[in-house]
Amino acid sequence: MSLLKTKYKFIIPGLALLVIGYSCGNKFLTKPPLGQLQQSQLANEPGVKAMLIGAYSLLDGEGDQNQGNQYGSGASNWVYGSVCADDAYKGSTPSDQGDIVNLQIWATSTAANTYPNQRWIALYDGVSRSNDVIRTLAVATGVPAAEHGEIMAEARFLRGFYHLDATKIWGKVPYIDETITVAAGNLNKATNASLIWPQIEADFKFAMDSLLVTQTDIGRANKYAAEAFLAKCYMFEHRYSDALPLLNDLLTNGVNSAGKKYGFNPGGYFNNFNPDPSAKNSIESVFSVQMSVNDGSGTNGNYGDVLNFPNDGSGPGGCCGFDNPSINLANAYKTDATTGLPLFTTFNSDPSPIAAGATTVPLDPRIDFVMGRPGIPYLDWGLHPGALWVRDGSDGYFSPKKNVYAKSQKGVLSSNETSFWGPTQIDANNVNLIRYSDLLLWAAECEVEVGSPVNALTYVNMVRNRVATHPETWTYKNSTFNATTYTYSTTTTPADNYKISPYPAGSFTDKNYAIQAIRWERRLELAEEGHRFFDLARWNSDATYPLDMSQVLNTYSTTEKTRPSIYAAHPEASFHKGINEVFPVPQTQIDLENAKGTKVLSQNPGYN
Amino acid sequence: MPFKTNSLLRVCLLACLVLSGFNLFAQKRITGKVISTTDKQPVVGATVQVKGGKTAVQTGVDGAFSIDAGDNSTLVISSVGFEKLEIPVSGRSVLGDISLGTANTALNEIVVTGYSAQKKKDITGSVAVVDVKSLRSVPGGNPEALLQGQASGVTVISSGVPGGGSNVRIRGITSFGNSDPLYIIDGVQVPNGLHDINSADIESIQVLKDAGSAAIYGVRGSNGVVIVTTRRGKAGKSTISYDGYIGTQRPAGGNPFDIANPTNTGLAIWREFANTPGVPLNSTNYKNSQFGYGATPVLYDYLTPINTNNGGANTDPSTYALYTNQITKTNKAGTDWYHAVFTPALQQSHTISGSGGNDRSTYYYSVGYYNQEGTLLNTYLRRYSARMNTTFQVKDHIRIGENAYVFYRQAPGLPGSSNQNEGNAISYTYRESPLVPVFDVMGNYAGSGVKGVGNPQNPYANLDRSRNNRVNDWSISGNVFGEVDFLKHFTVRTSFGGSVDNAYNTSFSYTQYENTENNTNPNTFLEASGYNSSRTWTNTLKYTNIWGDHSLSVIAGTEAINNYSRASQSTRSGYFLTNPANLTVDPALWTLNAGPAAGMTNSSTVGGVTYPFGSSLFSLFGRADYAFKDKYLLSGTIRRDGSSIFAQNVRYGTFESVTAGWRISREDFFKDVSWVNDLKLRGGWGKLGSLSNTSVTNQFTLFGQSAANSSYDIGGTSTSSQLGFYAYQAGNPFANWEKDKVVNVGLDGTIIQNKFDFSVEWYNKSVSGLLYNAPIQAAGYGDPINAFGNTGDVTNKGVDASVTYHGAAVGHELKFDITATFSTYKNKVVALANGVKYQDRVSGGSNRFGAFSRLQPGQPVGEFFGYQVIGLYQSQDDINKSPTDAAAGVGRFKYADVNHDGKISDSDRTFFGNPNPKFTAGLNLSASYKNFDFSAFFYTSIGNKVVNYVKYWTDFPQVWDAAMSNRAALQSFGMPGANGKTPILERTSTNDNALVFNSYYQENGSYLRCKQMQIGYSLPVGMIKKFGVDRFRVYIQAANLFTITKYDGLDPELQASNLNDNTNFGIDFGNYPGNQRSYNVGVQLSF
Repeated sequence: MSLLKTKYKFIIPGLALLVIGYSCGNKFLTKPPLGQLQQSQLANEPGVKAMLIGAYSLLDGEGDQNQGNQYGSGASNWVYGSVCADDAYKGSTPSDQGDIVNLQIWATSTAANTYPNQRWIALYDGVSRSNDVIRTLAVATGVPAAEHGEIMAEARFLRGFYHLDATKIWGKVPYIDETITVAAGNLNKATNASLIWPQIEADFKFAMDSLLVTQTDIGRANKYAAEAFLAKCYMFEHRYSDALPLLNDLLTNGVNSAGKKYGFNPGGYFNNFNPDPSAKNSIESVFSVQMSVNDGSGTNGNYGDVLNFPNDGSGPGGCCGFDNPSINLANAYKTDATTGLPLFTTFNSDPSPIAAGATTVPLDPRIDFVMGRPGIPYLDWGLHPGALWVRDGSDGYFSPKKNVYAKSQKGVLSSNETSFWGPTQIDANNVNLIRYSDLLLWAAECEVEVGSPVNALTYVNMVRNRVATHPETWTYKNSTFNATTYTYSTTTTPADNYKISPYPAGSFTDKNYAIQAIRWERRLELAEEGHRFFDLARWNSDATYPLDMSQVLNTYSTTEKTRPSIYAAHPEASFHKGINEVFPVPQTQIDLENAKGTKVLSQNPGYN
Repeated sequence: MPFKTNSLLRVCLLACLVLSGFNLFAQKRITGKVISTTDKQPVVGATVQVKGGKTAVQTGVDGAFSIDAGDNSTLVISSVGFEKLEIPVSGRSVLGDISLGTANTALNEIVVTGYSAQKKKDITGSVAVVDVKSLRSVPGGNPEALLQGQASGVTVISSGVPGGGSNVRIRGITSFGNSDPLYIIDGVQVPNGLHDINSADIESIQVLKDAGSAAIYGVRGSNGVVIVTTRRGKAGKSTISYDGYIGTQRPAGGNPFDIANPTNTGLAIWREFANTPGVPLNSTNYKNSQFGYGATPVLYDYLTPINTNNGGANTDPSTYALYTNQITKTNKAGTDWYHAVFTPALQQSHTISGSGGNDRSTYYYSVGYYNQEGTLLNTYLRRYSARMNTTFQVKDHIRIGENAYVFYRQAPGLPGSSNQNEGNAISYTYRESPLVPVFDVMGNYAGSGVKGVGNPQNPYANLDRSRNNRVNDWSISGNVFGEVDFLKHFTVRTSFGGSVDNAYNTSFSYTQYENTENNTNPNTFLEASGYNSSRTWTNTLKYTNIWGDHSLSVIAGTEAINNYSRASQSTRSGYFLTNPANLTVDPALWTLNAGPAAGMTNSSTVGGVTYPFGSSLFSLFGRADYAFKDKYLLSGTIRRDGSSIFAQNVRYGTFESVTAGWRISREDFFKDVSWVNDLKLRGGWGKLGSLSNTSVTNQFTLFGQSAANSSYDIGGTSTSSQLGFYAYQAGNPFANWEKDKVVNVGLDGTIIQNKFDFSVEWYNKSVSGLLYNAPIQAAGYGDPINAFGNTGDVTNKGVDASVTYHGAAVGHELKFDITATFSTYKNKVVALANGVKYQDRVSGGSNRFGAFSRLQPGQPVGEFFGYQVIGLYQSQDDINKSPTDAAAGVGRFKYADVNHDGKISDSDRTFFGNPNPKFTAGLNLSASYKNFDFSAFFYTSIGNKVVNYVKYWTDFPQVWDAAMSNRAALQSFGMPGANGKTPILERTSTNDNALVFNSYYQENGSYLRCKQMQIGYSLPVGMIKKFGVDRFRVYIQAANLFTITKYDGLDPELQASNLNDNTNFGIDFGNYPGNQRSYNVGVQLSF
């Protein structure tokens, strides 16, 4: 009896424990994610709109999940557009960011180079976010019809942009729309067998037809921004007759997202590079990447250009002496003392404008908006000290200037936040993707090809006269710098011997001359804005008026080898015609996408 | 060799031969209980036999037996691991407790395995028993580091960081991420493992290595299981003990990184330019700011103002201004940066414990204090700990008890950056130029802001500034349990335990005015806190019975584990300077409120981990151990685990194992083999699982918001941004357990009068469905991070062995033990995700080369991948004759044309070195003679290749112009002392010198180290007894007395930069050396 009692006394609780343990299993094992959302929670109007903001946020090339912030993925394309062309040197000491060395000397064994992979990932992550908006919009509830169309149009605009930038860099790239997903198992459909201009154009056309003209937020794309990017596509395809009507419409009717008619920045040329919100997004900005500082992010400022500051605390930033404008570029600003026009053939002879008054000929005043030169005022940071800021003795004389901020803006329009190693190099300078000058100079190219040389001359001269007729916007010695307007207050003694004049009437009747002048003007006007390499490549492939990119860059590097420049230490630097006009498709991506045995991605010819 | 017939075997044989049916006179039932002499515990399964008769029985769980025997007969009692005992019955029928003396063998050791305990002799799986005494003999604050060399099959790599972590790998590399074993302390999983356990509290450690032993831990068992039992009181006399040591740790002397002096540095820079003809400079002959403009380099008196001698402009201290005229003298003799920050350091450890009890209760209490100052300035581990373990026998059949451990520690790690990172203070000791002094003329820090010396930071300044930073952790862990015995054979047990850890950090970073880069960054204060909690509820039901020749033990149970963590951190910047002369802020003002609100941040992401998160695991498990005649052993385990991490339909996994053992030495045909005391062949097969490093939200596709990643200033305000969402993770609802299949075969033996114990095992562990996040396929896949999928296969094959010799000499007065352990494994990646051919893995220490290692099927995890250097180009003729190489130059690296296409390109990169050792071994010596004792412990790792990344900074001055090595300054190509390996000094960076990773950096990392050696003396008992002292031992000890290696760097024992990444290790970024000598004096006292 007592045995039995004992038995129950212990077996029952024992079994009970086991049973209790078992039965609580499923509920116990269900743990919803903490602090993160699932798609169903975002399938509504505010959710989709916030996802659209997320898609915009990769315009700066930074903050994607797979790479985070990288120097090689920035919106300005400074490595690919400027350093790999004749605008700038890598900068810093010879090995710093060594990946750029092989790109800059146009080596062909660069498929494994990490820099292009950084940009590839950032751009396709931008595509992915745009497609996420489109896919979520399809299942979202409670989105008013008008909003629906606008969200779709903005998402397709962004998708077009990301693909366009990829096409500029690599040529043939895959086009990814919202139907290509892991779940659908159709990733192998997205090959880079052919150029994807039709698909990109379709996105921009849809955007152009659907977008609002005036947006409540200045940073959103509007109808005209889409139209400008469509024109840009046509320019890359040399479809001048298709581009011209769009450009004419833009120049005649185009307004920015605030509804104001496109035109030159009323504050002058340099004011386009002012991080002040009152100067940014002027009527000159067709579409810009919006940068912000001290917003709690740490890195939403212009991270892509974070290395491109003087390497010393006496200037803005404090590091790292990259993207130094080339001596060739400085020389390109020399003008004829009589005509005030560029010296197309003789420009690149010494002496170079390495300091105020160093040249015997005058200079286009834009030189001192593009580069910090020894002895020339560097905004309100005092005179550029030369080698001290350039960092390496064999790295030119100049510092970049369009991406920096004024001393009086420090801590307000440059970052104070500490989530990153170099907050003083993060600023609110927008990256201008298309500005009014772009439209004018594209229109000039089109007019020469399919329209009127007179119109072309007019457009080029508009660009020149904006500077020529506004000497109050130039750089002056012994003057205080007004950071609100990005001009010097005392306009007594110009910092150098400046001279710039419009092309004389009728000078564009010689088509060769006109094209040379327009292309030269693009270089001067848009220098160090990441366009140069892609312009050279575009002209290189222009069947009607080809420009041999290899000749331009080999001539450039041959001369730079005799100068304090990275090329001097690289006698092997040589641009390989037929190869280096596009960048290598990242080997990592080829290997990943072709892993399943289908050839999805092909390498560009000549690279390994 | 003549064999003596073992008498035991002979008896057995006789017993078998004599047929039944004999009628002995005066038979009666005799009872008794066999207990062990040493611990008074019952001896289960001992054979009790009538001498000369056929009758034999075995003792039960309680050690009791009953046997029919004559009044004048003699009983022979034997059990493996015990001395055989003959006891005359002498007419008695109740023999009472019979003490059986233990043989000099480890076979009787009780080994705690999964949810139960077994004698070592009965184990059929692979279990390594750690010699805790030997482990404790090595000084150190972290028992997991002390495991090195103590157990075969266990590879441990540690560093010198006080309180730092270790890479612990059991049987190779079984995961790309963290492969720490599961640590079970007193039956409860403890997330921090052994890290902060006071080693003086440890009673035993066993390591479950194969599936046979670890499968009962199911999904957590893949990386092996380390089971720790802490000390408990024993019935009997109460004792109070003190165990402590104090000593000093000495940094390496000399010039550890072989840094060139200022004069040779200057000459090398001039040579650099001479070897790079025609590079024009942007100032007249401006080669380096500090060495002047002449034909030869000149050392000036001042670094700032640059190129100034005494009395020059701006050298008057009255003109000193921190930002605009910091005056710094040149250290013409050269600053020894290494010894500016590495100095001799004090270490001490003290534990006082009390233990005792009676037949109803036992207790063990201890308090510990451990304080290790690191040799590196302001690194330390201070830990205060207390343990309280008690057991109460509340009723005859009911026991309750608890284990509790609480500690508080302060250990800042390596300030600023983790160990093995090119940006930490150790790395700056080889990067900062020797021209730069530690302080400027006003006593403020000097640094690279003087120009011409690259961009390193003053390591002394960085460490000195961290002196008030605090990293505090406190934790309580343990469990309460109750056990009830019922129905004779059953025990039910419930245990509820877990841990709660809290962390609290405060740190201040100052404006580093002395640096060349970012010298105006605002000062910043950071305050962070968080906690982890883990709860485990385990219930088991156990059945044990012995009848006839059969012995069976069965256990079944359930376990529920729940984890939850939260953390947050806040920062403010721009604090008011209470000392503007050197830009410091009074530590009394280190509060958030004392800083300006503008620019403040707060985040739930702390140290790269996003909080909060929680997970749970629910399991059913069972185990059966069966033995027949103590000769045939069979064991099986099964566990079914369900985890919250995986989607509901793939949540559960079942893991089973079967093992068997055959005690050959008990077979008849072995009876004549008298030199073999015990021999057991065992083998097993089983399955294990792993969750590895899977995120707790792995199954979900997630959208997140992040100011940095998805907010955008759509309004063009410049100073604010709008909230945005983005797909954060592409969930994988199909992912489930990593599945390991392990085959293990072992042979254990005790031979030659129990003098030798050996164990040798072979295993094959294949991991399939390895969990990791496959690299993103950008086009089409896009921004979200891939969740972990089951996408890789890895195998590890290896051999573990250990042998112990118990010796005596000089008339048994000199006793000694020698134990050797040996581990070797071959690791191979079998497959990667979706047929991916390879995956490059970038190290956390530096990404300047991209990746150092590549995962690729057919290669071991972690193998170095890059260009293979086959020499230096000797001449232009040599270049012309070699494969086309765009970057070729005389004196530069010549690479192997691996694909034989006649040119050198990216596709010639190849695998050139395996950081996994060919084998590792430990050798433990201990001896005692009269009152003296001696012990020594050696460890060796052979065949592991290491990458000396330090050379990137010191051997290629074109990289950064900072410090350079004598290799570069004196032994590079073209110099009289050329070593034939270091390429020409030049100003150019190309693929053939500094731009890419190649085999120049690789060295042989084999080493042999004397981990510790000590001599102790115990005062004679007679002398101390009158003071009431039972034991008084003093010892002196040297740790890391010597390391024999060919490695050029500080220490070839190189842990991973990121301890949670197994794909990058054996790379030296300036490792905190773990081989620094220390000398200690210790006392052990009990009364």
